[in-house]
Amino acid sequence: MDPGRNYQANHPLTEQEKKQQQFRLFQESLPKVSQLAFQMLLNEIVPQAMAVENELNDLNSLEQTGDRTSAVEGERKGEGEAENIPINDLSLQEKEVSSYNTNLKIQPSHKLIMELAELEDEEKYNNILKRLRNIGFEMGKKMCEMLVFSNNPNLHFKEMDLLLIMKFICRDVWKQLYEKPIDNLKTNHRGTFYLIDYNYKPIQAFSLSEEAPAKELKMVEPFLEIPLGLIKGVLASLGYSPEEVICISSFVDKPADDRPKYGFPKGVSFHVQVNMKPK
Amino acid sequence: MAIESLLIINKSGGLLYQRNFIDKPPQSQAPNQPEPQQQLNSNDYLILASTLHGVFAIASQLTPKALQLSQNDIDYTIPYIPNVGMPTNGGRTGNGSTVGGGSGSSGPGSNKLGSFKGDDFFKDSFVSWNKSGLRQLCTDQFTMFIYQTMTGLKFVAISTTVMPQQKVATPSGTDKLDRYGNSSNLAIQIADNFLRKVYCLYSDYVMKDPFYSMEMPIKSDLFDKKVRAMIKNMNE
Amino acid sequence: MSRSRSSTTTQSRSLKVTGEEIWKNKTEKINTELFALTYGALVAQLFEDYDNDYSLINERLFSMGYNIGVRLIEDFLARTALPRCEDMVRTSEVISKCAFKIFLNITPHVTNWSNNKDSFSLIIEDNPLSEFVELPMNAKKQIWYSNVLCGVLKGALEMVQLDCDVWFVADILKGDPQTELKIKLNKILKDEIPIGDD
Repeated sequence: MDPGRNYQANHPLTEQEKKQQQFRLFQESLPKVSQLAFQMLLNEIVPQAMAVENELNDLNSLEQTGDRTSAVEGERKGEGEAENIPINDLSLQEKEVSSYNTNLKIQPSHKLIMELAELEDEEKYNNILKRLRNIGFEMGKKMCEMLVFSNNPNLHFKEMDLLLIMKFICRDVWKQLYEKPIDNLKTNHRGTFYLIDYNYKPIQAFSLSEEAPAKELKMVEPFLEIPLGLIKGVLASLGYSPEEVICISSFVDKPADDRPKYGFPKGVSFHVQVNMKPK
Repeated sequence: MAIESLLIINKSGGLLYQRNFIDKPPQSQAPNQPEPQQQLNSNDYLILASTLHGVFAIASQLTPKALQLSQNDIDYTIPYIPNVGMPTNGGRTGNGSTVGGGSGSSGPGSNKLGSFKGDDFFKDSFVSWNKSGLRQLCTDQFTMFIYQTMTGLKFVAISTTVMPQQKVATPSGTDKLDRYGNSSNLAIQIADNFLRKVYCLYSDYVMKDPFYSMEMPIKSDLFDKKVRAMIKNMNE
Repeated sequence: MSRSRSSTTTQSRSLKVTGEEIWKNKTEKINTELFALTYGALVAQLFEDYDNDYSLINERLFSMGYNIGVRLIEDFLARTALPRCEDMVRTSEVISKCAFKIFLNITPHVTNWSNNKDSFSLIIEDNPLSEFVELPMNAKKQIWYSNVLCGVLKGALEMVQLDCDVWFVADILKGDPQTELKIKLNKILKDEIPIGDD
């Protein structure tokens, strides 16, 4: 084979380009799963966090009143509600699902989300958000390790300052998760950052009315806890402990240019505040 | 094929979605004309949906015994018909981003088709799940097509195309009325292709929306927009 | 007998082809590692929440899967438009060759049929959920790490009118030789079958 044939266009690949190509090939060769499976899993975590909170509260109150095991058994078998619930009434009631000898009462996810949105107990609500943030945090930590070891020629972790780390989050982390980078990064170079994603992927299919009133936006808030936790997790993994980092999310309007109007009507802005460590 | 109206009916006969896509101008009142067409209100559509659901069930019982016995021979395959409901490329700049197939979409694997990669939702022929139920209803004002999924969801499209009624000369010399010729089959196939794509949109924008209550009316704006875009392509 | 067997093999071959084709050309993909670490973070949080009450954790994972399954089935059907399965044999092939392939890019092996062909096992190799996972000693005996899969299958099958029991019988994470999931048909929900189908 004529070695000259391997050259692209008219110039040989530089060392850097070779590394990039290698990295790309390596990434493509990694085992994959469907994006859909990932997305559905991610979005189901939120309603289940609500269900967990409910269950824990029930268990706590039962523990105080009596024997825990028998109470849980009774709850599971749904005494008094054990008739066959017609499947057509899915949206109205819990589903009684038989699972290998135990009867589980499974609440459909839309019901759980409604419950979460209307939750008035602040403590419970905060517990749930905290739970979601923890999950995001663990994800962020592990993702960071994963990306550090992936030998990406574009990343040089030893030389990273905070700005580069934020760029890493905007580009590489976001790309891995949502197939596109953050749209906009704003900073005041003193530890405050705004990461703006106009089309935050997991919420694109959420249906809200066109004007997206505040009440409906509140329903979407819990879904933003995971990425918040994620950002904190990545920062923690790179040396910025969670006490030094504050992360808040908010909704922003999409820019006025003619982007395709399909999708969630608002963009998301992640406000990250890092207490700069004296170097 | 111009689609005038689309309905989605759930497995218990409840109406999930209903939209009209062609505005009917009010007819001028001439002395001999019948009364101008009234638009149906939302209650009427609910009744229409459950009636259709019932009629659909009854129709499946009407298949003559003789046909039922020979059911194994019937081929229920629907061939893939390209470009049904898809924007035609080139020469149509229009308003840029209103039709999702334009070049304005961002990101890799630009989600023109949601989670369906490639330039069309599917490219192979498929077997109809609707074996003995009602598939097509021909009248002299409109034609109605019904596509039923395995989970019991029914997608109903009402089209302004009217199936032609032709007299066909048979070799024996007597004329036969052949309404159910190839044109009707083709129409059903196009409708099935189209309605399966609406099903794909449903699975993307309604199923993936955690706020959607199962078996309840669809309130998703996004789904609505996508359906309208596809219907626009069909009607042009 | 041999004729029907050959026709099933042509059918199953085309199922395999369908599954692969959709996986290759029509599915957006992400790295399995990412998927695994998301699931891992979730399970870790459940460990903490339920204070190591493993039966509750198993049930929670199952419920999650169920809610995912009832929605995922519509996506699967819209994407593949596969005809209704005549029996559990065909169902098992669709599940292993198409469903698992399209969503998780694995093809579990179908085996351990019961005598009346109403229950079978799926042997899962390279479970994407449990990549790089090790269970703590006290959890090993009781937790079914990938129980979400049981829920997904249960929910999805129920929507196509098959009332099944789905449960794990073995898991590599527990030290068993293989990861094995059992599916048993309880009954066909005849009243639910859409009229006009069959």
